[in-house]
Amino acid sequence: MDFAKKRGLAMMGVRILPLVFALGISKLVYSQDVISPVSTEGNQTENNQTELTLPAMRSTIDNTLNQASQKLKSSKVEERVGAAKLLGKYANAQVSLLLIGALDDSSELVRRAVMVSLVEHFNNGSPIYEQALVEKIFSKIGDPDVEVRRETSALIPRLIPGLMRSGMERIQVNGRSILRSIPGKLRQDLQDLANQALIDPDSIVRQNVLKHHFSLRFQMESQTFARLLGDKDVSVLLVALDQARMYAAQSGTYDQMEALTKHSDVGVRAKLARTVQSLGRSFPQYRKILRILTNDPVDEVATLSAVDLARLGERVSNEMIDRIIAYLSKAKGLFGKAESLFYSLSALGSDAKRIYKALLEHPSASMRAQAWVRHLSLSEGWKNASSWRDALQDRDLKVRKGVLSLLRGRVEQINRNDLSYLIKSRHVEVRSFASELLLVAEKEVVKECFFDLLIDEDSLVRSTTLRALAKIQADGWVDLHARSLKDKDYAIQRAAMDGLLGDHQVGVPALLKYLRQYPAERISTLARRELQQMGINP
Amino acid sequence: MRSCLLFCFSVWIAVFSHGQDSSVQIDNAGAVRIMQLRRDGPTRVRYPDALPSLLELMNERSLANFDPDPLFIESLADERLFEHPVLYVNCDELPNFDFSSEENEALRRYMKLGGFVYLDAGIKASFLGTDLGHSYAAWEERAEVRQWFEQLFPDQPFSPLPRNHEIFRTFYKGLPDNEYLRLEEDQKRLPDTVLTFVEQEKWPQGTYSMVGIKVNDRLACVASPICAMGWGRDEFGAWIPPISFRVRESAEDFDETLQVASFAGQTYEVTREDGLKDEIYLVPGNRPLWVKEPTGRWRIFKYYSGEEISNYAHSFYARLGMNVFLYALLN
Repeated sequence: MDFAKKRGLAMMGVRILPLVFALGISKLVYSQDVISPVSTEGNQTENNQTELTLPAMRSTIDNTLNQASQKLKSSKVEERVGAAKLLGKYANAQVSLLLIGALDDSSELVRRAVMVSLVEHFNNGSPIYEQALVEKIFSKIGDPDVEVRRETSALIPRLIPGLMRSGMERIQVNGRSILRSIPGKLRQDLQDLANQALIDPDSIVRQNVLKHHFSLRFQMESQTFARLLGDKDVSVLLVALDQARMYAAQSGTYDQMEALTKHSDVGVRAKLARTVQSLGRSFPQYRKILRILTNDPVDEVATLSAVDLARLGERVSNEMIDRIIAYLSKAKGLFGKAESLFYSLSALGSDAKRIYKALLEHPSASMRAQAWVRHLSLSEGWKNASSWRDALQDRDLKVRKGVLSLLRGRVEQINRNDLSYLIKSRHVEVRSFASELLLVAEKEVVKECFFDLLIDEDSLVRSTTLRALAKIQADGWVDLHARSLKDKDYAIQRAAMDGLLGDHQVGVPALLKYLRQYPAERISTLARRELQQMGINP
Repeated sequence: MRSCLLFCFSVWIAVFSHGQDSSVQIDNAGAVRIMQLRRDGPTRVRYPDALPSLLELMNERSLANFDPDPLFIESLADERLFEHPVLYVNCDELPNFDFSSEENEALRRYMKLGGFVYLDAGIKASFLGTDLGHSYAAWEERAEVRQWFEQLFPDQPFSPLPRNHEIFRTFYKGLPDNEYLRLEEDQKRLPDTVLTFVEQEKWPQGTYSMVGIKVNDRLACVASPICAMGWGRDEFGAWIPPISFRVRESAEDFDETLQVASFAGQTYEVTREDGLKDEIYLVPGNRPLWVKEPTGRWRIFKYYSGEEISNYAHSFYARLGMNVFLYALLN
């Protein structure tokens, strides 16, 4: 008891000191903050908002606050409301204290205005950490007015640092005085109010308290949680499902969650599937819910559940794979639940091959793109050009780019027919890829194909071809590069220069010769610098 | 509604194709694909879930058929511009408003041939600064947008859309009620003062501040304060991200009090619906404090956040977005 008293006194000191300090500081700041008439003439800004000349007479901050604090005590409700609203604009500890003092006003209009202004203080850089004050604000979770309760419940995350402050106490152990930490804890009466708020008639209040009750460090009774899992409000239900792990082992939770398999809202059933999938590892009995959900009439819920079961190691039937294909084929695009399902398919392992293959002609470009990438990855399709040729003729750039990203660096060989096919493509990125493939083509194939690429209308294709030819040192590449240094297109000149720089024996001498002949060309300056960095003085 | 939509789609497509001499691209089993201009590719995307969520919602709530996968174009000179009927631009996602003459010419031609341009965040008060998430419902387009479109249609300035314009009731009429919001009949949708302000001033009958340009007597472009922030939904159908409200509130003595209350900021003028100017008081970098209205009345800005506010705002913006896109296709 002595300890408790001592702690109480010590805590009071801790609580009051910062307040006094804050008030002193704020007084100092504001005593200098006398607002003189401001005149900003004709300062035009964007959007025709013009800075105007302010009225000549404005009050000081002290006068404004004094008047508002007087009005806060007025017998007229309207005056008190006005004062509470105005005080929200002056965020500092002194004003917060005034507002907190009005939290028990007899009028709900005043209490609402006070809460909204306190929220404004929190948002405008004047949070309240003083535990006694924060506890006072939190106690409004039990206010008779629903708007006040809503505002309070929405403010909980901002109140938690003040509410959950830990402390220290001095105790005697074997005659020695030692300091011991006391963890932050919600006062019992406030905890009772919070528990009551979990069954508040207003769904917003229920939802907010449920969302943050863990941070308030209290656990509700199992029947309360089961009741929330049966809440009429979908938003409350979704939040309750988020918290299910904490109560999964308690009686009533499983039954209530199983009952949700028949909930009318698809979003709730989808969320249930996702929640149960997560619980399934620690609480195997919850897998039964997933099995029930695989019979859901809505494809997206059934298929998601089946894939979730696969993640837990259960095999997915062929019928379900057909259903997944049917669902994803009907999906408008890779978005929302279809997207979640698609990216979960990797859990099916090689069983997913059939699904990806079925989606290669999907009308949505994003779906096609991902289906192609996954299909080629799983089947190691980059080894055979006939597997990916069609993807590179897709009408959508997203598909072509996705497939090209996968193929780059993986394709190890290409024959004449396939390379010619790519060279004839009307898409520049495909022709550019064909240029890159010269690196892995047979010498004869390179010889037959490179010229078509060198006269391509796009400079990216031409420059990529030059770079590839330099890399493989195709017959006559030095002459070709030396000639290309005179090209009008800088990208070609640059590719030619890079190619020649890469070969000391024949490339560099050819470049030096060019520099002697054309010392003032655009590429010459860069070439000289590159050569100097290599230790060659041109 | 369905037959009406289908009819109008086909009429629109026929007209558009005729004018353009090329066929409209109808991907995804007849679905209409919306284009979105992203000058910087995916690097400057503020609300990535917004447009796909709205398109999905339109498919759910109406019998329209949209591809929920928008077609992103990085340049207005992209030849695909002429393959799709609606171009959506979130002006907050543009790095600048510098368009080449080739791009401007393409856009001008697009609008003349029947294309519709939706400039989200095309209305924006400069004093909101870099906080792109905020909107301020002025009744004039932002200066950059005005300068841009002056190059396209020098003789056709933006003009405000009246509250009774068809665009505000193409599909949804009025504000979301409890049934729409899936609330109990006796549940409060919004705090009293907020609801009154919203119903009477902020969004009366589900309308909003919008300006538009007519081309050949057809509304071809609209600009609005940012709406995309209200369109996003997660995979379980919950709205994202949270939205808060700014409302104007009065009190008995505010006309005297706010006139002299201590204030160390700047004032700005904002054009109202009636063409008169509000005088906004704010400290730069912060949210507006209060306003002197042309009637001489002073009101204070109050900010409300919370689930109910956010849900309501999302519902409103989504309904408005649906109205705009469906109007674009029907007219």
